[in-house]
Order: sequence, then structure tokens, then C-alpha cells
Amino acid sequence: MPFVSSFRHAPAILIGRVVRVLARWRKPGGGSAIPGVIVNRIAPGFLASTLNGFPLGLVIVTGSSGKSTTTKMLVAVLRAHGLTVFTNQSTANISQGLTSALLERVTLSGQIAGDVAVLEMDEGHGALIAASLTPRVVALTNVMVDQIDRFHDSEMVAALLAKISARATETVVLNADDRYLADLGSHLDATVQVARYGVTAAVLGQYPRGLGYADTAVNRLPAGTGLQLTRVVGRDADVLFPTGGRHIRLPARGIHYAVDALTALSTAQATLGERFDPALACAALSAMPAVFGRGEVVTVRGKTVEFVLVQNPSSFQLNVDSLEAGTEQILMIIGSDVRDPSYFWPVDTSGLGHVLIASGLKAHDIALQLAYDDVVVDRIEPDVPTALDAFLALPDPVFGVKTIIFSADGMRRTRAHLGLVSNAEDPE
Amino acid sequence: MTATSLGRPFTVVSLLPRLLDTNGDAGNARVLAQRMRWSGHDARVVDVHLRSDLPEQIDAVSIGSGTDAALLPARDGLRALVEELRVWSNSGVPILAVGTGWELLSWGIDLADGSVLEGLGLVAGHAVPRSIRATDDIIVASKYGRLIGFENHARDYVGAEASPLGRVVYGTGNGDAATGPRIEGLTMGEVFCTHLHGPVLARNPGLADHLLLAAFNRHGLAYSRGFLAASVDAIAQSARNNAAVRLGQSAE
Repeated sequence: MPFVSSFRHAPAILIGRVVRVLARWRKPGGGSAIPGVIVNRIAPGFLASTLNGFPLGLVIVTGSSGKSTTTKMLVAVLRAHGLTVFTNQSTANISQGLTSALLERVTLSGQIAGDVAVLEMDEGHGALIAASLTPRVVALTNVMVDQIDRFHDSEMVAALLAKISARATETVVLNADDRYLADLGSHLDATVQVARYGVTAAVLGQYPRGLGYADTAVNRLPAGTGLQLTRVVGRDADVLFPTGGRHIRLPARGIHYAVDALTALSTAQATLGERFDPALACAALSAMPAVFGRGEVVTVRGKTVEFVLVQNPSSFQLNVDSLEAGTEQILMIIGSDVRDPSYFWPVDTSGLGHVLIASGLKAHDIALQLAYDDVVVDRIEPDVPTALDAFLALPDPVFGVKTIIFSADGMRRTRAHLGLVSNAEDPE
Repeated sequence: MTATSLGRPFTVVSLLPRLLDTNGDAGNARVLAQRMRWSGHDARVVDVHLRSDLPEQIDAVSIGSGTDAALLPARDGLRALVEELRVWSNSGVPILAVGTGWELLSWGIDLADGSVLEGLGLVAGHAVPRSIRATDDIIVASKYGRLIGFENHARDYVGAEASPLGRVVYGTGNGDAATGPRIEGLTMGEVFCTHLHGPVLARNPGLADHLLLAAFNRHGLAYSRGFLAASVDAIAQSARNNAAVRLGQSAE
């Protein structure tokens, strides 16, 4: 890779740093996006030239669902291989936030210490800034329909992902079980390699409702043409590599975590080439702490609690289906982020059987859905702290662990009330 | 002597739920069937994707809402059932159509690119593009009670002025009428069309029970709300009141 070593952006970098200091004087701990706004204004090429300048290039992870988990998994695998990785924390306002994050590390010549950049991108923002980027590898997770999202249909999401994929210089990694992505892969420029991954027919057969994709491809990936997920039971998954099968202990139970792991492994293989070591990669994944709120098991006030985040009908259904049968203590917190209460109705919640408390701003609405699905709801308590205190005060269940299912707003309120900070910060 | 049971399960059909359930409105079929069970009758939901899926007897029909990408296949799917839909609506079988499901029953849909997608022509009026998508809570005064739901549509509806479902108290409804009261939805006999998501029948059991009365009356059966329905309806009332109060309206 050619070294980007010009001082072209030095004035903008300096100004950005001054602004960062000023912003922090004015509001300690805050103002993180403002330096980015300013630098992007005065040096619009800064972000792209810096991101494109890493020795092993830029890797973009995008798709409807699973981006965040996949990105964290990929970063863990790459770090296990000895790489220094630059990565982003959140997806909102990506170009400003990224520029600000880069400003913290960049030298005046526009160089950052690091081997590779791995960025999680939301499909909309990603498509907007993709034109200026030259990612070496683009990884695509899936296309799911999510009507509270600003993307109203799957064709539109697929078109955004195609726009991002078209920027890949070396490899597009994609989920062959997702019909939209499979189609996208067959229309890519012939100069770009396509690395496909998928589950076996036996694994898919375990999920009669499918894996939540807007459209599932008719055929499974033929053995030997890409990484395959050959078994998922609870937190245990088996992946078939060209060199043989390996076992992974997932950070959380559920088929979607297993597919996220598969995506991360396939992307790591594309990024590292011959340096990729399946044993090292699987060990790194198995050693990962769970991502906050996504099936994470924590101890709060002496009680073991499992957090389950539901972000869209597909993930809600998969989470309901993968809860341990007979889980007797469930608290459900649906907040103001779910504006249209019918949002979750495509989900069949009857498998929950019994919910102790429905909480959050939309407590009555979720209780209504549960009631129509024959789920017994003992108590409706819209106030989240009150519900949490009551739930945690109950003695441990005889069967299963205390399980809190929440929307993103419910997660935020839970975290605030229990004084929990994200437990899975990336080591610097 | 009045019959007390149908001798077969009550059958609610959900039309094209794979294409028309983006906003969870196929859930209305679940609501009707569950309330039938709660009133002491056997009931089932049959998903209909093709004509061959149609059961022999039908007691209520639910049509949900889908994405614009699915408009054409959904229209063609419904068109394959147009004769049945005509028979049902003429014989008093209650039909609920929400969002794009409603638009497809109309004369047609004017699309943003200037083209027109011809509808089934079962109900009067047609859908026309709005300048901005209406996405908010909506409150409607109707003879089935105060209806509260969530609207999310990129088109207005013109031509329902003679027989709307109700008057808009908060929100957009069928569109910004230049004069007169703003209206929401359309009714024609026992055909009910609306923009309300929620699903509308779970949130507004008064409307659900009206549809159930129509379904039961066709067989000379009396409908009475079940014991369990009463407690579930109290939850729905709280949900509606929470929304109403948030929007500056009084609780009921």
C-alpha cells in the first residue's frame, strides 16, 4: 500500500485539535462531534484519505442487523492476530464522529499508528460517504425489513448496500443465505472477489421461521465454497473451514450470534489472507465478553440477570425463540423508541408463556400484544426503576435466569438505573 | 330457537400476510379470532396467499399494509380474490383493510412518479401522493368510540368523504381537506378501511366487537364479550389514554 504522507491536511488537523480542547473546556466530556464538523468543513478530504491510508486498508461492516456484534468480533479476531486496529464506537453521524475520533490519534502528516481500520457503517450513512472511500473489504450481514427504520423497503436497503459494495477494491464478504445479498454478489464487478458464507440446511431446518432475512435464498451454500455454520446449540457453534471443523463458544445464545461470528470469521479471512489462523480466530471469539444488552449475563445486586435487546421484529422473534424454555422470570421493557405499537405484532410471543412485569412507556401496548398471544402478564408497571427494583428483589428463579427483554430505550433506562456502564469497551 | 354455536370453528382469513404485514396489521386477524375464543367459540386464522388457500367458509377478513415495493404483487394477489371479496362484502362478511391494503381495494393508487396502479375497485375513491409522509399518533372520533392508533402513510385518500370511519381529532387521516372537518378512513356496509395501525382492533376493541357482532349476526348467533376480553380491554384503554394524554387530550 502506498503511504499517504502529505501535510496537506495539517492546518485542518491543528484547528480540529484546538476546537476539541475548546469544546471540552465549555462542556467537560462532551462536544465530541464538533471538531469533526469543523474539520470536515475546512478539509473535506481528511476523513477519506486517512481511512484509506492504513497499511492493510479499510474494512467496512454493513447490513440491516448484526453490524455492531460482527464488528466487535472481527476486531477481536484481528487483534488476536497481532494487528493494531482502528475502529469506531457508534454509527450515528458517522463522518463527524469518525473525523473527531481520528483527530485524537492522527499525526500532522495524516498518519495513524495502526495496521487496519474496521468500521461499522449504517447502510444510509455508509452509502452517503462511500463514494470517497476505497475499502479493501466490505462485509454484508443481511437485509431485514424494519418499518420504524427510515428505510421502508428491502429493495432500497439492498440498493444502498450495493452502492457501498461497489467501492470494494478486493473482496466483498456476504451472507449467501440472504437472497438480496446473494443476488448482489452475482452482479458485482468481476475484478472483485466474493467471499460467501452460510449455514447448512440442517442448521436452517432448526428455525422453521427462518433467520429473519427479508428473503431467504432458495439454496444453501455448497460445501467447500465458503465458511459454513454446521451446528448451533445454545452458546456452542461449529464452523467448517477449508482446513476442517472448529468449535466456538459464543458470547451469547442464539443463531444470530452464530451467524455474526461466521461473518466476522469470513471477513477476517478476507482481510488477513494467508495469515488467517482458524484456531487463533475461534479462540479469540470464544474469549469475548458479551456485548452489553445483547444476551449478556451480568450480576446485579447479587442476582444473575440476562439482558436481551430487541431492535426489530426479526431480532425479537429470534430472541424469543432462543430463550431457554420455561424461563420463569421475565421483565419486558418497551420504551418511547417504539413509536408504532403494532411494530412488534409480526412477532409470535406465545413462546414466552408468562411475563412477570411489562414496563416502559409502551408497557400497556406490549402487555396487550402478550395478552392476545396468550402470555400471562402479572403486572404492568410503566415506571422502569420501580419495575427493575421489584424484579430484582424477587428471589432467584428455580428455572432459568432472570431475563430482561428491552428495546433500546429500555436498555438505556435500565443501564442508568442500575449504574451499569458498557462492560465491553474495546481495549485501546 | 336461537343457535348457540356454529358447529364449526369461526374462520378469520388474513389475506397475503407475507406481503401485507409490514406494520403488524395482520395481527388484526389474531385479535378477532382470540376475541371469538374469549367469547366461548372455537376460532382459527387462515393465512391466504393463493386462491387455493381459501377455506370453504369465511366469517371475517383482515387485510394488512405492506411496502410500496410490494404494491404490484399484492394488487395481483388480491385481484385473484376479487370475486370472493365482492361476494363477502355484499353478504355482510366483515372486512378490515389497513393502509396499502385499503388503497388496493380502491379505484387506484396515484404513484409519486405520475403513474397509476389500478386497484380492485371495491370501494370508492383513490389514493394520491402526499408531500410529506404522515407518521404520528392519530385520534379519531367515531361511532365505535374514540379510536387511537398510529398512522404512517405517504399518500392521502380522496373520495371517502361520503362515508368516512370518523372525524380526525389529532393527526392527518385521509388528508388535509381544504374545507370542512378532516376525516379518517372509509366504511361501506361491513367493510372498514383505515390508516390506523396499532393494530387498530387490539387498541380499539369497540371497533373489533362491531366486526364480531356482524360476523355473529350473519349466523343468528349472539356475541358477548368474554370475561378475559374485559380485562384485556382495560389494558387497551390504558394504552389509548396514555397516548391521548401525551397528545393533550383527556383520558376516558
